Amino acid sequence: MLTLTCPVCGAEGDETDFHAGGQAHIRRPATHDPEHITDQQQADYLFTRINPKGLHFERWRCDRGCGKWFHAARDTVSLEFKAYYGITELPPAEIMAQAKGAWADYFKARQRAEAKAPAKAGAKS
Amino acid sequence: MSDVLANPHFETALARRAAPTGLSFALREMADRGMIDLRGMTTDRKFMAAVKSVLGADLPKVPRTSVAWGDVKMLWLSPDQWLVLCPRAKAPALAADLGKALSGIHSQVTNVSDMRTVLRLEGENLRVTLAKGTSTDLMAAEVKPGFVKRLKFAEVGALLNIVEDEIFELYVFRSQADYVWDFLLATGTTASALKVFGPQTPG
Repeated sequence: MLTLTCPVCGAEGDETDFHAGGQAHIRRPATHDPEHITDQQQADYLFTRINPKGLHFERWRCDRGCGKWFHAARDTVSLEFKAYYGITELPPAEIMAQAKGAWADYFKARQRAEAKAPAKAGAKS
Repeated sequence: MSDVLANPHFETALARRAAPTGLSFALREMADRGMIDLRGMTTDRKFMAAVKSVLGADLPKVPRTSVAWGDVKMLWLSPDQWLVLCPRAKAPALAADLGKALSGIHSQVTNVSDMRTVLRLEGENLRVTLAKGTSTDLMAAEVKPGFVKRLKFAEVGALLNIVEDEIFELYVFRSQADYVWDFLLATGTTASALKVFGPQTPG
C-alpha cells in the first residue's frame, strides 16, 4: 500500500485516504489555442497517457483530509514518493532533472516556454 | 410513519434507536448540534476580522485543530473551510449574522445542521476501539483534545473531533448514521474490547 503526505495540510495516510487523479501536467490544447487544434491533438489530450518505468508525475487529492489537489512525483518501480508539490507548481528542480523520456522532454519544453514568456503568477499548470 | 407525516417535525437520524447496552463505552447521539459550513481565505484580513466580530475568536489556521469560544466551536476542515458548531436553535441566526458580516467578502456561509449526525463516545481506550474502523493513526502525538480530522471510518467518510481524552465526537453523514451506529454496536461490545499491552509511545 502506498503511503502519502499531503503538502497542503501535512496529513499522512495510506492510499485509501487519498484519491489518485492520474497523470499530472496535462494541458488542454483547446484552452491555449482553440483556433488551430487538430483532431490528433484533442485525441492525445483525452486518451494518450504515458506509462513510464521509473519516475512518474501524478495528481492526487487529500480525500480524507483537507480535500485539496496536489502533485506527487513517484517511482513506479519502488513505489516510493520522491516529492510532493502544489497543484499549480512544477516539481522541485532536482526531481525534474531526474526525469527521463517523455517527462524529460515535457519539462524541457515547459522550461523553454517559461523562459520565453514568464508564466503569470498563479497560472494553472 | 403516518404520525410523522401528520405532524411534520424535525427528527434526528437516530431518534428511534434504543439506547445501546453492553458497549465498552457510552454512545449517544448529540441531537442539539447546529453546524455551519464556513469558507473563505485566511489571507483575506477583512474575512478574518468579520468572522471574529461575529464568532468572538479567530478561526484556527493550524491543520486539524479547533477553537472554542463560549457555546461556539470552530473546527478546521481545510485551509479555507471550517465547521462552526453551536446550539441547533442558534444556527439559523448565527448563519444570518455571519452572512451579513461577510457580505461583499469572498466567502460562503451555509447552515448544514441537518447534514451530519453527531455521535458522542465516552469511555476509556476509545482510540483502540475506533482503530477497528480506520487506518488513521489515532496514537499519534497530535491526536489530543481539540484534534479534528476527516477520516475514513468503517469505509464511509467521517469527521473525528477529540473533545477530551475520553470524549470523542464522530460526525457522519445523516444517511450513514444508522450504518455507523450499527458498526459501533458490533465493534464496541465489552466482549470485543481490546486491551493496550504496555504504554503507547506517541509519534
